[in-house]
Amino acid sequence: MRALGIDPVHDTQTAFRALCDATSRPGTVADVGSSPADHAILATLVDHEVRTWTDDGELRSALESQGRFDPIEPAEADLLHTHGQPDWDVRECSHGSLVEPSEGATVVYRVDGLETGPDSALTTVELIGPGVDGTRRLSADLPASELERLREAQSTYPRGVDAYLTSGEYVAAIPRSNDLEVV
Amino acid sequence: MTDAGADAADGTEPAAAAESGTQISATSVADAVDDLSGEGLSGYNYAYLDEHTKREVRRAILKGIAIPGHQVPFASRPMPLARGWGTGGIQASLSLLGPDDAFKVIDQGSDESVNAANVRRLAETTAEVETTTDTTEADVIQTRHRIPEEVLDEDQILVLQVPITDALRKVDSSDAANRRRHAHANYGKMWVHLYENVVEWGEIQIAARYPAMVAGRYLMDPSPIPRWDLPKLDDADNLFVFAAGREARIYAVPPHTDVEPLAFEDKSFQVERFPDQSCHSCGSTDTYLTEIETEEGTESDGGDRLYVCNDTSFCLKRQDDPGLAKDHHLDREGVDWGPGTPGGPAGADRDELAEGDGGDDA
Repeated sequence: MRALGIDPVHDTQTAFRALCDATSRPGTVADVGSSPADHAILATLVDHEVRTWTDDGELRSALESQGRFDPIEPAEADLLHTHGQPDWDVRECSHGSLVEPSEGATVVYRVDGLETGPDSALTTVELIGPGVDGTRRLSADLPASELERLREAQSTYPRGVDAYLTSGEYVAAIPRSNDLEVV
Repeated sequence: MTDAGADAADGTEPAAAAESGTQISATSVADAVDDLSGEGLSGYNYAYLDEHTKREVRRAILKGIAIPGHQVPFASRPMPLARGWGTGGIQASLSLLGPDDAFKVIDQGSDESVNAANVRRLAETTAEVETTTDTTEADVIQTRHRIPEEVLDEDQILVLQVPITDALRKVDSSDAANRRRHAHANYGKMWVHLYENVVEWGEIQIAARYPAMVAGRYLMDPSPIPRWDLPKLDDADNLFVFAAGREARIYAVPPHTDVEPLAFEDKSFQVERFPDQSCHSCGSTDTYLTEIETEEGTESDGGDRLYVCNDTSFCLKRQDDPGLAKDHHLDREGVDWGPGTPGGPAGADRDELAEGDGGDDA
């Protein structure tokens, strides 16, 4: 992952802790420690056992050069990566089974703006569920229609997909355990 | 190792040293370990595990957090100690730890058990972490069968070693059948088990591994923590990661998640009771106590019944400052963490939990 400027041991450890924090507290923004955060996240999670979809050529070749890239169509993928709104439908992604819901896909969106709390320039969602004390709002530069699709993709709990939104060095999570409402 | 010199003097070479070709001249175990550490570790990756293993464990932990209470399978690796001795906890801890972390390991509340000391040393030598016995200073705490008495905050992660991952195992030994039950949240068989318990004993008699519902969806085995610790999982500030090396499963309870012990409306969940007992060392009456043997033996042998705090590091702090609160290190009031302190601000909670309305009338 040095091709991406990411230390394969220490930067991925920092990124993983940020992912733990973000997933544990949906809607909060965590510092991944290297930029762009989506590259660090894929470097942390993807190897040949994870069927992956990405249209990011730099990321693809960095993973390929280490034999860690197992490409597949979006509907079959374990992990999907997109810049902004994807041309595939998140509702069609793997949801896992009732016996093994953890096989549901992980979706990483790179967006241009991301912050906790409401922001009139971005789309705001309200989250309720494990990890959220009461309710929490998260604003991201994604169309409301995409976040509505994500809500549908997560509506079959415990089956569903888990989403990470990244911007610059930062990541926020919308795990399937949370109820999401576009406000 | 201590006797190596004595054996050599007898003219018999210690077999282990002769075979491995490493003769050490230490006079104590600690010196011997100091002599050897470093040498044998060259060539190992940072934090012992290879990166491929860490990615696998990390993916399982993240899915575990995203589906609270669900047991996520992972490829548990062979570790430098036998499965069942905390290998799941070690794999989770070593995947989490970074060089800026302070790491604490407890075994049944004690920092000084051989297993805890060895796990701590493995992390210290391979992950270059600082180690601590102070709960409030640790970033990651690995534990066997206890949750510390001092309140954990949002920057801390508790890794629990788990021997048996499925709460349903005690009502059905078939893993396949139990996974189907979890898939459909079909926990009828566990309710029957609790009912039979009440019929037999007048109250729910489950000493440890008390089953709890996580976020209203999954029945979880909280590992063999005492009932005393179970309320701490509910609406906590910190993340809990449960890892089982032998059963190759990881699950998690994120902060601010409902964790509800199974109980009936008229037979409530109760924590352990220590009527009129206090810690022999620090005098605490609001901590989980364990009976210790005196010189005359235990009570059944005719000796005195003595109790001490199970959480040794907090007991040492209490010995210096008997009035120390469990949330002394936090800057906010009214932190709810397990059974409350009798006579303290949360004392009412404890009385309610301890006396409840189940069992006393049976």
